[in-house]
Amino acid sequence: MTAPAASPVAGSDRPLRLAWRSAAVLTLVSLIGLAMFVWPLFVSAQSDLAHSADAPLLFAVVLALLVVVLANEVMSGQLDAKALALLGVLAAAAAALRPLGSGVTGFQPMFVVLILGGRALGPGFGFCLGLVGMFASALLTGGVGPWLPFQMLGAAWVGMGAGLLPRCGGRLEVALLAGYGVVSAVLYGFLLNLWFWPFLVTGDAGVAFVPGDALSANLGRFLAFCLVTSLGFDIPRAIGNVVLILVLGGPALRAIRRATRKAHFGAVATFADQNGGGDSTAPASASARSSAR
Amino acid sequence: MTEPPRLLHPGAWWLWALGLATAAARTTNPLLLLLIAAVAGLVVAERRVPGPWSRSYTAFLKFGLIVIAVRVGLEFVFGGTGLGVVAVELPSVPLPSWLAGLTLGGPVTWDGLLGALFEGLRLAVILICIGAANSLVNPSRLLRLVPAALYEAGVAVVVSMTLAPVLITDIDRLRRARRLRGRSTRGPRAWGQMALPAFSGALDRSVALAASMDSRGYGRAGDQPARVRHLNTALVVAGLIGVLLGLYGLLTGGTPGSPGSGLFGWPVLLAGAALAAAGSLLAGRRVTRTHYRPDPWRLPEWLVAVSGLIPAAVFVALGANPELTGPASPPGWPPLPLVPALAVLVAALPAVVAPRVPSDTAAEREAVPA
Amino acid sequence: MIRFADVTVTYDGAVTPTLTGVDVTVPEGELVLVVGPTGSGKSTLLKTVNGLVPHFTGGTLHGRVVVADRDTALNPPRELADAVGYVAQDPQQGFVTDSVEDELAYTMESLAVAPDVMRRRVEDTLDLLGLTSLRHRPLRSLSGGERQRVAIGSVLTAHPRVLVLDEPTSALDPQAAEEVLAAVQRLVHDLGLTVVMSEHRLERVVQYADRVLLLRPGGQVVDYPDPAEAMAVSPLAPAVVDLGRLAGWQPLPLSIRDARRHAAGLREQLADAAPPPAPPPSAAAAVAQVDGVTAGYRDVSVLREVSVQVQPRDIVAVMGRNGAGKSTLLSLIAGQQAPQRGTVRVAGHDPTGLQGPGLIRTVGFVPQEPGDLLWSESVGQECRAADVDAGAPPGTTWTLFHDLRPDVAEATHPGDLSEGTRLTLALAVMLAGDPQVLLLDEPTRGLDYCAKEQLAQLLRRRAEKGRAVVIATHDVELVAQVCTRMVMLADGDVVLDTDSRSGAVSSPAFAPQVAKVMAPVPLLTVAEVRDVLPQEVPS
Repeated sequence: MTAPAASPVAGSDRPLRLAWRSAAVLTLVSLIGLAMFVWPLFVSAQSDLAHSADAPLLFAVVLALLVVVLANEVMSGQLDAKALALLGVLAAAAAALRPLGSGVTGFQPMFVVLILGGRALGPGFGFCLGLVGMFASALLTGGVGPWLPFQMLGAAWVGMGAGLLPRCGGRLEVALLAGYGVVSAVLYGFLLNLWFWPFLVTGDAGVAFVPGDALSANLGRFLAFCLVTSLGFDIPRAIGNVVLILVLGGPALRAIRRATRKAHFGAVATFADQNGGGDSTAPASASARSSAR
Repeated sequence: MTEPPRLLHPGAWWLWALGLATAAARTTNPLLLLLIAAVAGLVVAERRVPGPWSRSYTAFLKFGLIVIAVRVGLEFVFGGTGLGVVAVELPSVPLPSWLAGLTLGGPVTWDGLLGALFEGLRLAVILICIGAANSLVNPSRLLRLVPAALYEAGVAVVVSMTLAPVLITDIDRLRRARRLRGRSTRGPRAWGQMALPAFSGALDRSVALAASMDSRGYGRAGDQPARVRHLNTALVVAGLIGVLLGLYGLLTGGTPGSPGSGLFGWPVLLAGAALAAAGSLLAGRRVTRTHYRPDPWRLPEWLVAVSGLIPAAVFVALGANPELTGPASPPGWPPLPLVPALAVLVAALPAVVAPRVPSDTAAEREAVPA
Repeated sequence: MIRFADVTVTYDGAVTPTLTGVDVTVPEGELVLVVGPTGSGKSTLLKTVNGLVPHFTGGTLHGRVVVADRDTALNPPRELADAVGYVAQDPQQGFVTDSVEDELAYTMESLAVAPDVMRRRVEDTLDLLGLTSLRHRPLRSLSGGERQRVAIGSVLTAHPRVLVLDEPTSALDPQAAEEVLAAVQRLVHDLGLTVVMSEHRLERVVQYADRVLLLRPGGQVVDYPDPAEAMAVSPLAPAVVDLGRLAGWQPLPLSIRDARRHAAGLREQLADAAPPPAPPPSAAAAVAQVDGVTAGYRDVSVLREVSVQVQPRDIVAVMGRNGAGKSTLLSLIAGQQAPQRGTVRVAGHDPTGLQGPGLIRTVGFVPQEPGDLLWSESVGQECRAADVDAGAPPGTTWTLFHDLRPDVAEATHPGDLSEGTRLTLALAVMLAGDPQVLLLDEPTRGLDYCAKEQLAQLLRRRAEKGRAVVIATHDVELVAQVCTRMVMLADGDVVLDTDSRSGAVSSPAFAPQVAKVMAPVPLLTVAEVRDVLPQEVPS
């Protein structure tokens, strides 16, 4: 995953822009998260991890902590009331769609909201949307578990990636998003399966991961594992999402952009004191940090 | 215990459940695993909060059964290593070499099957413990554990949890209205056309919500001196780099006894995580905000948390004890080791020591349309 | 308490200012009513009080707004949360949490009030607003009046000195409005709170106001320390004021009680005035027929053995408390729900079996939220879709809508329309199929007097065309104005089914203001009084 440097495209449709240090923390946590996803492919035979089943649990605790740190870094003091309300509403839409897709690992219809939201509102916002939407939906469906930090991070990447796609408009944009939907669906399913794999299959089964084995050998076994366990569900789901994006993407993007315009992000409040007190100007949606003056 | 009925601190239940789950992760002995599941089930039966999420235990139980089936199924599909007594001989089909040269089918041994069964069972029991926690705590109360540093994220989650059910009822209203305009209410196209107005309605609502939050003091956070801000970032970044180094050590490093692993590995990883968390806490001090009716942490909370952590501690201390391993070769009746079994039984204490769930909460939760 | 010093507000991109030269001082402890037609800048004025305008909305504010000695230029809304409590038009959209107690505490959590103080204030507020029995309830399960009180409570817990309410009772039925207004009165009288509110339904509030701010076209605000003076010139006025103006009473009465004192002479003069003759009962066959219907949800019967007939040219008002079964009756006729027992026939069909164009040409139903019927991205698109759905010639819906609202552009998003315009659009959409029966659920919620008058005219034209209209409503003025019949439901039974004139004079609950003032003279509206009045009376 690439790091979103502070978005070069300044515009009033970006309710959240990442500061350089947020971007740095985001990159580091993403690297750590990625490592915690793919460790089975790279672990050495001598490692502690190779011989105990509680690595996924311990990783989950550590990653949960780091996701909290990251969420704090990315969101705290960066979201004004309008951005936060928009975030809450979009996350609610995502969470409401969650019951339509089942299971821990697969790609869900809710990701369509993350993709569209990230696309319309920028990578930083898309990232937050993934985190919040996944967390809220887990609370609503009673799906809290060690997989949650991993799902949150994965969903956040999906949202952020949508925001990082090159700019284009019209039908091309929807097609681009549909394509991105497939790629991100496959990657997300792949990563979550990878997390589940050593959890589910250890020991000497044919598709178990063998610590320290060559990358290609482990990868092959893992692909076989995916093939028989989840591919049958993942592919129809990915297709369903593509259809969803193709049909609803255009109007939904327009709806989000209209809401963004209505919210007047970055609107400037001007106080022109006619009694000669001088003009004072304050950004209307000033971030929380610049409150007291 | 004559504690008046109240809701236990959500953190206590989660510590208890994670403790049990850790114990389960450490064993493949089917008797111990079943005992853990039974203990979790007993506590859920006694102390769950009525509401839609109290069904989580059963949902996770079913999920666990699926996991066992998948795990055993994999054994049939890919066969095993072929060691031990052969149970079934399936026709074998070799897979292309890029799939790690695996073979479909082939001889399935009892050892392999039992091993798969116990492994599946272990994961299923871990899931059941998590399900128990989901049943025992109204998930929205988990939000009370969100640290002050996460003020914005916490509010966003609250907002989305409030609005998600509203969106669903909105769609239902729109479905009824759609018929009035003479349109079909079935089929994906209709659903799409109903979802969109619900979606844009919700977006419109966000502006009103933002105005309300702004007028009610949202974002009145104190300023933070630049010095503190820099220190916070430095701590977080340093901590994260520590975690990365620790991970690297874990992936490459040796067993705990070998040289080098003392420097890299878990200690570095955990220290790094702690450092990053401390940095975040520092940032959290900028938030001037309080919690309404904070959950107390009293004796029952201690008892519940400790009773869950005892089996975890015992199982971890026993390490790779053969008593904790399920019998695979040769197949036989597993032993029921006394100390771990007693430790697991300790975790049943919350069924008695945790305060009862107040009945008004029950009534209130039933009033919520599911 | 609040000082507007020469305030002019111009939104970004707007050519003319929304408010111009507002120079008003509101002393502490007053209940101030802001009066003006839709779109005149009422909400803008209210939002300047806590700085939402311009901090939140953007735009330029000339002059100064000082509230509780704090200048809004220096204090954004969040910093004023402990000085000004602001409750927006639809309180439900402003709720952050999902239960009553949490919502009351939310503002204090943001203000970092200590937990023990918070607890105490929540208890105080629950008592003050009569919410004690609702404390654990989810907000979604509350009625409109309860929601409004919770919204007021949620800002009160911060102990503000000024309360700003945007249309607090416009969308409520009379009983709920009564609850809310009683609570507001208590706040003014017991706590000495300064309250600034706007309201369409002036008849509900004007007698309680200490001061009226009247918005003139062009954004000027005229300050009337005596509400009666304001009412004498206001283009919007409740029926009782219109009657007073017609009869030339001085000082102008604002309440029924005052008007009755003035009206003794008028009543004597008109003692044997005959009301306009009731239209002859229609002999045509009923277009909608509800026969011995029992309906409800699962084992709860909302309606029991109800029989109602609707003839062509009828405008039937269905009245009754909330939960009496009004909406259920309407959805039965629209075929949205099937009766558990009995039969429903509309133009000879079972409405549940109707769909597509067949349904549209038989029954049109505008639900409580007219926006539910609108899902296109522009008004023009909506109209074209409605033409197609109804099989009407292209342009039908647009013409219907455009005749009523010529100022609305085709490209406007339906979500950006005002409440009244949205209702008009929904009506146009429904009327594209020229249905035999038109059903309206609470159509006057949130409408100002002009929009209501327009609705009344539209309904009369439907009746003249030989179509039937059924309205579920609490609005007795509307019933007196247009309805020919009145059906009252209570606890699932029809307790009254009569022509609307005898209904209106039979019970004070259904009597419009003029009838209450003129009783026992059977006149219902100002227009009727004007018609029977001899010309020499000063007017």
